[in-house]
Amino acid sequence: MGTAIENSGAQAGDVAGAASPVGQVVSGLQRLIRHEIPSAQAIAFAGLARAAGGLSRENWSFDATWNDAHGTHAHRFMLMRDAAGTLLNTERSREFAVLKALEGTGVPAPQVHWMDPQGEFLGAPSVVMERMPGACDYMVLNGGRPLEERLALARGFIGLMAAIHGVDWRAKGLDRSLGLPEDSPSRAELVHWEGEYRRVQLEPHPELDLVLAWLQRYAPRAEAIVLVHGDFKPGNALVEGLRITAKLDWETAHLGDPLEDLGWVTNPVRKREHQIPGQWERRQIVDAYRELTGRHVQERDLTWWNVLACWKLAVIQLTAVNEFVAGRYSRVFQTPSWLYRPMFQMMEAA
Amino acid sequence: MRPTVEEQLLGTCRILEDVVAPSVADPFARTILDGLVANLRMLNGAIPAVAGFLQRDNEATVELLGALGPALPADVAARIAEALTESEPEATDGAALDQRNLRLRGLLAEAVRSEGIGADANAMIVRHMTERASRVPMRYVPTAPAASQSTASRTK
Repeated sequence: MGTAIENSGAQAGDVAGAASPVGQVVSGLQRLIRHEIPSAQAIAFAGLARAAGGLSRENWSFDATWNDAHGTHAHRFMLMRDAAGTLLNTERSREFAVLKALEGTGVPAPQVHWMDPQGEFLGAPSVVMERMPGACDYMVLNGGRPLEERLALARGFIGLMAAIHGVDWRAKGLDRSLGLPEDSPSRAELVHWEGEYRRVQLEPHPELDLVLAWLQRYAPRAEAIVLVHGDFKPGNALVEGLRITAKLDWETAHLGDPLEDLGWVTNPVRKREHQIPGQWERRQIVDAYRELTGRHVQERDLTWWNVLACWKLAVIQLTAVNEFVAGRYSRVFQTPSWLYRPMFQMMEAA
Repeated sequence: MRPTVEEQLLGTCRILEDVVAPSVADPFARTILDGLVANLRMLNGAIPAVAGFLQRDNEATVELLGALGPALPADVAARIAEALTESEPEATDGAALDQRNLRLRGLLAEAVRSEGIGADANAMIVRHMTERASRVPMRYVPTAPAASQSTASRTK
């Protein structure tokens, strides 16, 4: 399903309905393209549709054509626009800077074209990037593919993580655009996420306070500072055959501890997304990562990051609760009590 | 009273699924609708259990706070002691049960942030919290979208 709209002088909103979400997006895209390419003429869109997924942002796919001083252009695009209610407060400028920095590094990621950092054109902060081939499947490691294919993809994902962690962020100037943690990365993350927790909590959550106190007590030092994706999972990647064609969702990327991403994928509450029972579990993932990067990976430190991963998930769910209650979010979440027991068990075992 | 709350919730689900859903072609709107129906079904099972859950949790939290009091800083212990002198709400007064639960859990949050809680007290707290989490009547019902082509769907 999609919408085909050609701009022949009339307002796009006349075609799609100016007040409709599609009309707003079309109108905003036209103004953004004209701003970026002043000589653009005959701007036309086809197949504009909002994807079903996207809990933190609106994802719109579309094809665009236009003429300018350099000739005729045709592109397959994705527009990522902040939703009215969102689970993550991020800045489009950070994502734009990371995607620009990744060009030429070998890390598969969409080429980013334009940014509307304040929502001047699209009504909310947005970025426009190339639409990559491939399919997004949260459960690709435990879906219907043969085991060998799933294992190959699992190894591909950890190889991709190692490649991201190997990006020369100094040479790319990412310390200037993303900032370096002033304290240890673990403490910097805690400060950030505690701020989010206090901002969104609507009622006391002694369980989360108990875990937070433990996290503060045992925050580890980092073995290295690397580019961290921040939400590394199959659901944030496109796959075509056995090839990972693109890693998506860079809005949470930052400079930090490599164990943050590794802790995210070895988090026991998300085994079904990241692990293959009996074949690709915590030990195999950590061994593969050690082999690829040469890093030591202390088990106790990794467990700390596993607990933080759960705690972050809890805060993200509380954000959804807050946004829903405020009337800005259209999905119903609950207090994340299902995360408490796994966190307590990991703390006990650490 | 007919229709009962259960009949109304389940009837609303039926109408949304049989009458409204077939007319919703937009994939995003359909995903939202599916999630809302799943949540209404969850509520149908959870609502009758909420008052009993709060009453039992209040009792358990009072007992825990009473046991923790001596190990806590004096100011926190004093606030807890004051709260424990208050009478418990009627079992049929859902709003009062909820307010009491907020107050007690606020004090428990203060307690767990206090320095100097020993291993035994910590184990008692974790047992209480684990048991409570296993009985919470309202649960998130995930309804993730299916695999999509060339898109950047995500669930946090």
